[in-house]
Amino acid sequence: MPLVVSAIPFALVVALAITESGIGNLIGWSSAPIIFAGAAQLTLITLLGTGTAVVAAVSAALVINARHMMYSAALAPTFQKQPKWFRWLGPYALLDQTFALVILRKDDDPKDFRTYYLAASATFIIFWNTTVALGLMVGPVVPESWKLEFAVPVMFVGIVVMSIDHHPKAVAAIVGAGASYLFAGLPNRAGLLVGALFGIVAGVLADRWSER
Amino acid sequence: MTAFLAILAVGFGTYVSRSIFIIALADRTIPPRVVRALSYVGPAVLSALIVALLVDDSGSVSAGVAEVSAFAAGAFVGWRTRNLIYTVLAGMAAFWLLGVWF
Repeated sequence: MPLVVSAIPFALVVALAITESGIGNLIGWSSAPIIFAGAAQLTLITLLGTGTAVVAAVSAALVINARHMMYSAALAPTFQKQPKWFRWLGPYALLDQTFALVILRKDDDPKDFRTYYLAASATFIIFWNTTVALGLMVGPVVPESWKLEFAVPVMFVGIVVMSIDHHPKAVAAIVGAGASYLFAGLPNRAGLLVGALFGIVAGVLADRWSER
Repeated sequence: MTAFLAILAVGFGTYVSRSIFIIALADRTIPPRVVRALSYVGPAVLSALIVALLVDDSGSVSAGVAEVSAFAAGAFVGWRTRNLIYTVLAGMAAFWLLGVWF
């Protein structure tokens, strides 16, 4: 339950980004059921709204979602015991929150695991799609001078801080931000991807170095 | 329309990254080095993105006292409470308060 509640501000910020971007409410909202990943939706929509080249915006969102491959890898052994339909359907709902919940039950009886996974997924699917829609209705009421869109980077700061559980991740984050700053002038906002790449390489190197 | 196609592309890519190991590689082992490298993608991309969101149209980063303090407040509260709601509230409070003066 706390996981669902913690996603409320996220959904509202996504709704706000949709309103600000000018891509239209319906198209913007469709990102909720189609992409179903808050950080990627936020990235894509914000970047599209600032006039970033579409290819750069799409790649940025996809790179952000590459972390889901970790979840996929971590759950692959558990899913091996599941029927085929569930192996195809399940990954659609593999959010950060879903993963955090189901990874604790990866060794459960396959049927219990499936029931739990489906219940958690259904909760998030219903919740996410309705909250983003609600945010779109409430959003325009807030005056522009509040600069609510600044909540987007603030939220990302929070996510980064919370994801740092050992030093190499801090290195990855700091180098990523620094390189993104240095390359900010690149056309089509390519500095974002260059910065991210530097950060990942720095994290991997710091990881190897700290093992010695 | 372009925006909708972009959403479809990201939606497809997201599904692929979520399902790739579960569907295609279920009976193979993934090199632990790859899994570890993937764990640095999140922090690196998000922090690069934070900076990128502050880039203005002229291609330079525009962040004043209010913005930097808001990030500091958000980072501190996020680190101490590990709660996203408190993080956003603290960051926005700092942003609004200092935005009045600077």
